[in-house]
Order: sequence, then C-alpha cells, then structure tokens
Amino acid sequence: MDTAAQLPLLLGLAWLAPLASFVAILFFGPRMGPHGRNAAWVATAAIVASLVLSLFAAGAWLGAHPVQVSHHGSGDVAAADTHAGDHAVDHHPVADSVAYSGDWYTLYRGGALRLSIGWYIDALTVLMFVVVTFIATCIHVYASGYMHDELHDVTDHEVHLSGGGHLHRPGRFPRFFQALSLFCFSMLGIVIAGNLAMVFIFWELVGICSWFLIGFYYERKSASTAANKAFIVNRVGDFGMLIGLMALWGALGTLHFADSQAIDGDVARPGLFSLVRPAAGGHAIRVPDGMVKFAAAAEVAKTPPAEVAGKIEDWRSMGLGRWLLLIAGVGIFCGCVGKSAQFPLFVWLPDAMEGPTPVSALVHSATMVAAGVYLVGRFYPVLTPDVLLVIAYVGAITLFIAATIALVATDIKRVLAYSTVSQLGYMMLALGVGGWAAGLFHLVTHAFFKSLLFLCSGSVIHACHTNDMRKMGGLARVMPWTAGTMLVGCLAIIGAGVPFVIGLSGYYSKDAILAQALAFSRANPAHSILFVAVAGGAFLTAFYMFRLWFMTFAGEPRDHHVAEHAHESPAVMVAPLVVLAVLAVVAGWTLPGGFGLPNLLEQARPVGTAEGMTGGFAFGELVFPAEHLSHEGAVHVTATLTAFATAAAGVALAALMYLLRIISPAVVATIFKPAYTFLAGRWYFDELYHAMFVVPALAVANLASGTDRGVIDRIIDGLAWTARQLAGVDAWIDRTLVDGLVNATAAATWNAGIELKKLQTGHLRQYVMFIVVGTVALFVLASLLFRTSLAG
Amino acid sequence: MDPAASLTQPALWPLTAIVFLPALVAAVLSLPIVPRGRDEFIRWTTLLTTAVVFVLSVWMAWPQLFGAAGPAQFRLGEPGMQAVVKLPWIEAFGIEYLLGVDGISLPLVVLTTFLSMLAAAASWPITKHVKAYHVLFLLLETGMLGVFVSLDFFLFYVFWEVMLLPMYFLIGIWGGPRREYAAIKFFLYTLLGSVLMLLAILMLYFTSDLRQLSPEQLLASHVVSPALDAGVQADAVRSIKDARAPVHTFNLLALAQIGQLPDSPFAAARVWGMSLEKWAFLLLLVGFVIKVPVVPVHTWLPDAHVEAPTPISMILAGILLKLGGYGILRICYPVCPGAGLDFAWLVCGLGVVSMVYGAFAALAQKDFKRMVAYSSVSHMGYVMLGLGVWSAVAGQEYRWDAWAQGVNGAMFQMLAHGISSAGMFFMVGVLYDRVHHRNLEEFGGIFNRMPVYSGLAIAVFFAGLGLPGLCGFIGEVLVTLSSWNYSRVLAVASAFTVILTAAYILWAIQRVYLGAEYKGPHGDHLTPITPRELSIAAPLVFLAILFGVAPQILFNYVTPTVNRQVETLADWTKRVHDAPAAAPAVAKVGADSAAR
Repeated sequence: MDTAAQLPLLLGLAWLAPLASFVAILFFGPRMGPHGRNAAWVATAAIVASLVLSLFAAGAWLGAHPVQVSHHGSGDVAAADTHAGDHAVDHHPVADSVAYSGDWYTLYRGGALRLSIGWYIDALTVLMFVVVTFIATCIHVYASGYMHDELHDVTDHEVHLSGGGHLHRPGRFPRFFQALSLFCFSMLGIVIAGNLAMVFIFWELVGICSWFLIGFYYERKSASTAANKAFIVNRVGDFGMLIGLMALWGALGTLHFADSQAIDGDVARPGLFSLVRPAAGGHAIRVPDGMVKFAAAAEVAKTPPAEVAGKIEDWRSMGLGRWLLLIAGVGIFCGCVGKSAQFPLFVWLPDAMEGPTPVSALVHSATMVAAGVYLVGRFYPVLTPDVLLVIAYVGAITLFIAATIALVATDIKRVLAYSTVSQLGYMMLALGVGGWAAGLFHLVTHAFFKSLLFLCSGSVIHACHTNDMRKMGGLARVMPWTAGTMLVGCLAIIGAGVPFVIGLSGYYSKDAILAQALAFSRANPAHSILFVAVAGGAFLTAFYMFRLWFMTFAGEPRDHHVAEHAHESPAVMVAPLVVLAVLAVVAGWTLPGGFGLPNLLEQARPVGTAEGMTGGFAFGELVFPAEHLSHEGAVHVTATLTAFATAAAGVALAALMYLLRIISPAVVATIFKPAYTFLAGRWYFDELYHAMFVVPALAVANLASGTDRGVIDRIIDGLAWTARQLAGVDAWIDRTLVDGLVNATAAATWNAGIELKKLQTGHLRQYVMFIVVGTVALFVLASLLFRTSLAG
Repeated sequence: MDPAASLTQPALWPLTAIVFLPALVAAVLSLPIVPRGRDEFIRWTTLLTTAVVFVLSVWMAWPQLFGAAGPAQFRLGEPGMQAVVKLPWIEAFGIEYLLGVDGISLPLVVLTTFLSMLAAAASWPITKHVKAYHVLFLLLETGMLGVFVSLDFFLFYVFWEVMLLPMYFLIGIWGGPRREYAAIKFFLYTLLGSVLMLLAILMLYFTSDLRQLSPEQLLASHVVSPALDAGVQADAVRSIKDARAPVHTFNLLALAQIGQLPDSPFAAARVWGMSLEKWAFLLLLVGFVIKVPVVPVHTWLPDAHVEAPTPISMILAGILLKLGGYGILRICYPVCPGAGLDFAWLVCGLGVVSMVYGAFAALAQKDFKRMVAYSSVSHMGYVMLGLGVWSAVAGQEYRWDAWAQGVNGAMFQMLAHGISSAGMFFMVGVLYDRVHHRNLEEFGGIFNRMPVYSGLAIAVFFAGLGLPGLCGFIGEVLVTLSSWNYSRVLAVASAFTVILTAAYILWAIQRVYLGAEYKGPHGDHLTPITPRELSIAAPLVFLAILFGVAPQILFNYVTPTVNRQVETLADWTKRVHDAPAAAPAVAKVGADSAAR
C-alpha cells in the first residue's frame, strides 16, 4: 500500500476511534463498572489508539518524505543570496508541497456542485494529529484522576437551592468522557477536513462539544450561561464564515482545498488553492475567473457567451472580483476570530473557564481555540495581502488587550485564559505578517506548554479548592512537582533561553514571530506598530506569568486554611505534567540532521509563499518578506535580543513586586487607579456588548412579538369584527328590508285574498254577470289591440 | 377509456389504498356498531391503520426492504411521475381521479404516513370524545395524503378542503382554553387562501387548451394514458387535436406543459393590465404562503399551535406547513414560470423576512410552545428562500445547478423540519402532560429529573438549531449557500439568522432543561419518560441523526425530479423569457462597438 492510500486510512481510523468511544459511552456509560468508572478507560483507550495510528501515519509520512535540512541550518547564507534561483531548487526539495486529498463520502451533489466529507493530508495535518491526540491522551489520563469526585454523589457548593443548602446530585463521570471523546472526534475532523464545508461542519461540532463541556456543571447558572455565551459568540463568527463560504461557493462552485479527482461520474475539478494560485502563474495570487465573472455580471450579460472567456483578462486587470476574494478571506477569518477568541469576539473564552480544568486545558487552550489559527494556516494560499493585514492587526489588538487584562486578574484560570487569548493573538499576528511557519510553530509549542500550565493550575485548584490566587502562596513546598512543572511552563511561554544557543520551546517559536514581525515592519514602515505590539506583548507575558507563579508558589501562604489542606496531586495527575513539561522544553528543538518542527512545517508550506509576496489594494501596497530571510542576519539578532530583553524585564518586574516585594502591588494599583479599574473591569467589553447587542436584540424580539399581537392580530381581529358588524347590517337588511318586502308581499296577497273572498258570494246570478262582463271586456280589449296592430 | 379495464391498472390499488384506507376506517369507526366507550379499541385501531398506511408507503418507496417488489414500486433515479392512477371522474369538465408520485411528493407522502403514525401514538392522552377525535384524525390523514398525490387540480382542491375541516374541529374541540378563537382564526386564514386558490384554478382551467400540446406532451402529462395501446392513444390524441372548441383541463402536468409553451395562453391573456399568469401565480401564492406560513400571514400558527393538542401540533408543524411549500414547488412555478421569474424577489423576500422575523419573535416568547411555533415560521422561511432562488439571474450565464441546489435544499429542509418540528412539539407536549403549563420561566432542572427524555429533547432541539450531523443542517446550509448568487443582501440576512436561532434555542434549553431545580407547579409529576413516549421520541431522534449523517438517503429520491424540473425551467428561461430580450441587447452591443 502506498503512502497515498495509507495515510487516509490511518488518519481516518484515528479520527473515528473517539467517535466509537463516544457512542459506546453514550449507550453503555453508566453500566461501565461502578458509577461508570471504566468509561475513562474506554475513552483513554480510544484516544491512545488515535495517537498510535497518528504516530504510524507520521512514520509513513516521514518514510515517504524525509525532512530535509533547510538552508537555515546549513550556514550557506552567501550561496543563498547569490544563487537565489538554484537555491530554491536545491534546498527546497518540497517547494511544491506534497498533499494527499480525496473524498470519502458525498453529502450533496447537484450538477457540478458537490459537498463532501474528505481528507487533505500534508505535513501540517499529520503534525496536528500527533499533537492533538498526544495532548488529549495526557489530558484523558489526568482527567481520570481529576474527575474522581464524579464517581460518587457530589455536593455542589456553588449551587444554592431555594430551600437553603447545596445541590446534592449523583456523579456523572461517564458523561464527561463521553463529551471529551466527541470533542476529540470533532477536532480531528477539522484537522483532516478536505474542504471548507467539512471544516464548517466540524467547526460547529467542536462548538457544541465546547458547550457541553463548559456547561458540565449545568446546575450552575454561571456555567450554563457561559456555555451559551461561548456558542452564540462563536456563531457570530460563523455568520462571517458563512458569508465567506457563500462568496467562494457562489462564484467558484467548490469548497475543496485541493483539486478533486474524478469520482463517480464527476469530472476532476480544480480546488480553491489552484484556482487562486494557479501553477501557470507561478502560484502567485490571482483573482479566479469565477470571481471575475461574478463581479462582472452586468458585463457578462451584455457579452455574447463566446466572447466572455476572452474578456476575463481585461476585467481582471480592471480589478473586478478582488473585493470578492477579500470578502471570502475576511469572512473565513471571521470564523477563526470566533473560534480562536480574537478581538472583538474573545469575550467568551474567559467565561469558558467555568468548565472542569481538564477541559480548559484541552479544549480552551491547546486544541479547539487553536483551530482558528490552524484554519488560517490551512487556508493561507487563498488569503490576499489585504486579508493578511487585517489578520495581523486583529492579532495585535487581541494580544495587547488580553495581556493587559491578564496583568490584574486574580483567578488563576482566568490569567491563563487571557494568556491563551493573547498567545492566539501572537499566532494570528505571525500569520498575518507572512510568518506562516512561525505562527503554526507557535501553535504547536503553545499547545504543549499551555496545556501543561492549565493542568498545573488544575492540580493547584484540586489541592486548594479555590481559584483565587490571593488565597494561595508558598505552595511550592507542598506541591514540588506541580510547582516545578509549572515553572517550566512559565519559562516556555515567555520564551526563555540562552540567546543564540538553546532555549525552551517557546524561545524558538516566539523568536520566529518577533523576527518575522520585525522583517515585516522594516519592509512596511507604516505598519511598524505591529512589531511594537509583539515586543510589548512579550514583556507583558513575562510579567503576568511570573506574577502568577510567584503569587501561587513563592513566599508565605496567605490563607492558612488553604495551605493546610494543600497536598501534591496523585501520580495519575502528576505524570502527564511531567510528560508535557518535557515536551514544553524540547518541542522547539531541531536535531542534528535537521529533524524538527520548523523543517517539518516547511514541507507543508503553501505554494507560492516561500519567497514572500507583495500586493494589496485596499490598504496600499504591502510587502511580505520571505520567511527564511527573517532567520538570517541582522533581523534575527535584533529579534532575539529584543525578545530576551523584554522577557527578562517582565520577569524582573514581577519578581520585584511579587517575590521580593520591593514594589507593593497595592500601591501601584492605587497610583494607577483608573487604569487598574479599567483593566480589572476587563475593558468593560461584556457590559458594552450587552448594551450594544443583547439589549437591542431583545428589544427587536419584543417588537416583533408585539407586532404580531398588537398590529397583525389587531388587523385580523378587526377584520373579523368588521365582518361581524357587516353581517349584523346584513341581518338587519334581511329582517327589515328583504323580509319586510317579502312579508309585505305576503300580507298584500293575503289581504287581497281576504278582499277577493268577499266576491265569492255564492249567488249564481252574480257569477253569470261577472262572466258576461268579463267576456265583453276581453272582447273589447282584444278588438282594441287588433285594431292597433292593423293600423301599425 | 374502459372503466373496467382501468380498475386493473397495476398502480390503482397501492396509491388509492394509501390515501383512502384512513378514511375507510374512519367511516367504519363512525358507525354506531363501534360502541362509544371502547376507547382503547378505537385508539389501537387508529394506530394500526396509520401503521398499515405507513408500511404501504414504505413498500412503495423502498420495495427492496420487503424482498418482493411492490405492485407500484418507485424506481429511484427516474425523475417523472410514477404509479400514475387515472380514472374519469366528472367527465363533463374533464375532472379525473389522477394520482401519481415522483421524487418531490413521495418523500412527503412517507413523511405524512410516518408522522401520522407517531401522532396516533401520541393521541393516547386524549380522553374527550375519543371516537370523534380519531375519526377526524383519520380523515385528516386522507386529506393530507390526497393533496400530495393529486395530479388533477380539482381533486387537489377537494383534498385541500377535506383536510381543512377536520383540523378545524380537532383544534376547536380538543384544544386549550382559547381553542375556539384559534380554530376560527386557522379556518378563516386558510379559507381565504382556498378561495383565492379556487379563483386561480378556474382562471387556469378556462384559459387552458389541450390542443396546443403536442402528442408527446399529451402522453407525458397523462392526458392520454401512456399505458393504452398505440391505436387507442392515437385516437385519443386525434380527438383532442381535432376538437373545435378549446379543450380545458385540470391536469396539473398538462397545465405545466401549457404554461411552459412559448405561446403560453396564460402569459398571453391579460386581466386588468397584468397577465393572467401573474394573477394566477399571486393568487396561488397567497393561498400557499398562508399555509407555509410566511410573515405577515403567519399569526394563525402560534395560536393554533398553542391551543392544539400535542399530536395535532405535530401534524400541523410536521405536515400541514409542508403543503404550502409543496404547492409552490408543484404548481406555482411549473404552471406559471414567467410569473415565477418576475416574482422571485417576492418569494425570496418573504422567505428571508420570515426567517429573521420568526427568529426574533421566537426569542421573545415566554410560552414554550409559542417559541417552537415561531421557530417553525423561521425555519420555513428557508424553504421559501430555497424555492425562490430557483428563478434567479435571468439574462446571465445559466447556472441551473445553483438553482437546483436551492430547491433541493428547500425540499430537504421541508422533510427535516417535518422531523424536527414534530419532535419539538412532542417534547413540549411530554412536559405539558405532566405539569400542565408551558411557561419558560417556570421550568429548570428537568435534566436531572428526566434524564433520558431531556437527552432526546436536546437532540431534537439541536436538530432545529441546525447542528451538523442532525437533519436541520443540510437544508439550511444548501439554501443559504445557494442564495448568494441571487442576492447578496438576502444571503447575508439568511446567514445572520444562524445567530438568532442559536440564541433562542440555547436559551430555551437553558431555562427548561438545565439549572438546579424545577421552579414551577406540580413538580412531583415529573416522572421519567414512559415507554410509549419513548417509542415516539426515539424514532424521531433516530431519523434526525440518520438524515443529518446520510442526507443522500433523501436526496436519492428528491434530486432527480427536482433537477429535471429546474433544468426544464432553466431551458425555458433561456428559450422563452430571454429570447425577445436578447435581440435588443445584441443590437445595443453592436451600436456600442459602432460608436467606438
């Protein structure tokens, strides 16, 4: 079996294994051992199977496509500069990145249009499969320990019943793993998706899984509200995504990424990637014919069909259709904004922390929220320079806002949630400034260290039974494993390392982002604010992460009640921490020989982006420098030093305030009171959105409902009333006029009869006289008539 | 045709039995030999009858399931009318007993028999005048099935009216407190529609002339039965062609053929300055959209649903609303294609207004059943939009597949909504039977009290929400995607609805099923779902998942017919509608180039 047949099979099975687990737990969950304890085993077995299959797939991939040493590690910079053309051939043997695609299953087919379930597998897909299933495995193991409360009856202290007291309910251990399995299935569905329709399907499914998991403690009003908020805010993004899908579908008639093969009588058709970046044009972005024709509909109608094809180039050069491509790109990005919690739709993610902590680690930091970033990376060939700039700015705004809120948050999970939002902003920004590999590299390293951080926080919460950092402190002594692994996570996220020598995983990915942002800023001086945002964000990240660590683990306990009960978590929870900590350290390393994430990602690099690109019409001419250039020379040095300096400054400040306590946080808060209040109020986005959207929507809803009752039904009832009145008038007319006339006639007849009756005397003589008179009268009448007619 | 010979038509009995078996049983039940007190017997008889009708319809649709092929088995992939039954009825006016099914009507027939069976099972809690209820219920089923299979416009109208009366009594006698208001409102709205429809029927009848059709068209539209011997056929055709006076017809297939002629008499005749085609289209459209219903003629629906008993709500939402969409698809467009093209904006606009307005109104409801009723208004808007984009973009490159996608999506949406809305109303009914209120603010905590029921209910509500993997998604996404080519504004508005839908459904789920404790009265009556209720809810959930995961099951039936109809009309547009317009356009281009 060749790789093209192997990979869909392996990854397809890896994708479906969690679905099988979901179905099994759905039907037999409560019967799986006491209180459904074994459901954890079923779910874990399924995800381990997925992991193993993904690893096999990775092996198959690497066997067929060994990772090449890129020029970056070769030191052959001079040669690269002088022989740029040859260079591309020599050192980018995978310049035409390899991808396998196909369809498993057709949902709808009509004419040339086809919606289907299929696969698109390249190095990125394989990598994401391994990452998602690996983290999911760790979290399944961790959760089987963390969720043990659900194995017996639970008293939920956050739910106050009307009769006083707390809610007492049976545990629902299996249901947690059931939802987790469904989530894994949906998430892997997004990763393997071969077309945008399938992405959208699984996009919604991960949304609903997230709804289930955030609302796991559905007796709590806050949890069910947070779940609804997450889903509805995501739907706002999906609204944009639908518009993007319509723009593509309406004009191009396909949502497939890759060219589709000819199956069941359908001819082969070009996919989105080759429509937008045709090989004939050197894979440069070009508005596809379909969009040109769509935009030139008025012209097309006037042109004889035979001449349309010849005029397309003219119309294209007039710029027709480029707005449509922009709308398509921004629309799809809107979906990513929702899912990846970017500005302005990031408000749902912090609330999503109502879910159990393993969920926060898996769904709301490492995987689902990264789906938006993944989709931008996957969809990259279709994104025009203008769209990329929008993405970069959204990312920059997001990373800044979220980082500022994280500075003052006191709930340990919320700090991490805002940190996640901020890091996702980093990734978006990286993708937006042309750092395709940098953004996705950070996605992978972030997945490891952020899931680690969340699991550590879960371990802390498990021990302290509180999320409030103000009640913690000094926990390093009682929880050394948790404290140690969390320190690794903090160091990874701030990008700690020895400049130019070695570092934790975040060091490499963050450096790559800074370097690309710097290169972009130099090429486009008008947008140099983007580099400032990245550098400033690095400082803020370092500060709030070490603030968190110092407040939790360092110093003396602030709350003795909490400190006394604190204990190290069981081995089943600590083991995943250690595994993830190791990966948080090494995930960014490139082995001698070139094996490492950056080079693996290079295999999947979208065609036509390796040497950068230029263009753009809506926001002026933009230059996207080639990504490999940012790893070289002055840019790299400046970026690395900036990253190091900002991170060091952030850690230092945090140490001054929270470890050494030379600067009092309380005093700082008092001095900058308005700013502090503003940040603590989370920029008042929730209040703003409530006033701007929720209230008006409900008002319109009431208006619509009121119109039905107050206007339409009034009219209907009024018509009915009018009809009844008319009927009344009609009845009156019947009774008085018609009936009166009839009655009058009847009465007249009757009276006439009465009168005539008087003639009936019974005297024979009188009758004979009547007959005679009558006969004479008739004759007279007849003769008169006869004469007249003769005269006429 | 020899009546004796026609009684041996292979297709006569299956379709006739499907339509009239319920009425026959109703007639028997209404006889005094069935004592009034035998309630259980009457219920079981009704359930059994609906089950037999269901099995018959499935036998027709899917003969392979039974091993042996049915006598009127449906051949998949064949777009035309099948299992046609043709008997003369009122010969003076050419009215016939003409029945048939194709890919559009057969799935709706099976949906009707299926939901009728479930609704019969859901009728157990009815205790008032059980006999009368079930007699009317069975009559209603005959009426609905008759509408879907009638190919004679007069017969269609008769069934349409047959359906109306039982519904009036079922709401008016077995309904809630304001049942009389709701029943009369339903009756008057629908009657208004029927009267207008009758007017249109007569207009079309008296303008039609079979002599204009070619012999092939006469055969294709079953005016002359293709089952006859060639000689008899030729005689029949000749007698029509040689007639001195116009030969009028009620045959829907023939009316469609006439309407699509280049010299269509419907387009030629003018009434008060507008073509008769447009008048007929509008009159029929009003009649049908009242049933759909669209804003602003929808206000009967919330009242009727709130007052109707649960099984009648299931029928009402699951089937009756589909009659409107079916009528537009089967009659309005094929018979009056020119008007359909000109009024596409109206159909699409009504659809989108209904989607948005219905969704907003649903968001404001405090009554659970009213909320579900408004969700129907919103969801049926997709059907209108999908049907409307059909006649999109004349004068441009013909993308019939984009139109077909809208119509296929609309058909799928009708079927999916039949499943999900019937399910939603049933789920509301289960709660109402226990606690006798529907106030959304006074529920909560049902999930912990009735876990199995709540799981199924949430699945059904998710189907209504349009979640992928459930039946509501496919129709919505196909319609929405197809609308972009027709109008960007309407497309964006229809996409916007997904936010509102999520909001009102999730909010309702939160208020009813989630939460810690039940806040309303009769909390101790919240007993777990009974086996009878489970046997109604589970099939609905199963189908919601099945059609969501494997929509091809339905598309296999629907698409051949829909695609052919759309292709035919696309050709018609090219041939008839644009032919006169093309000449000046070419002349104008010529003038332009000359000017250059």
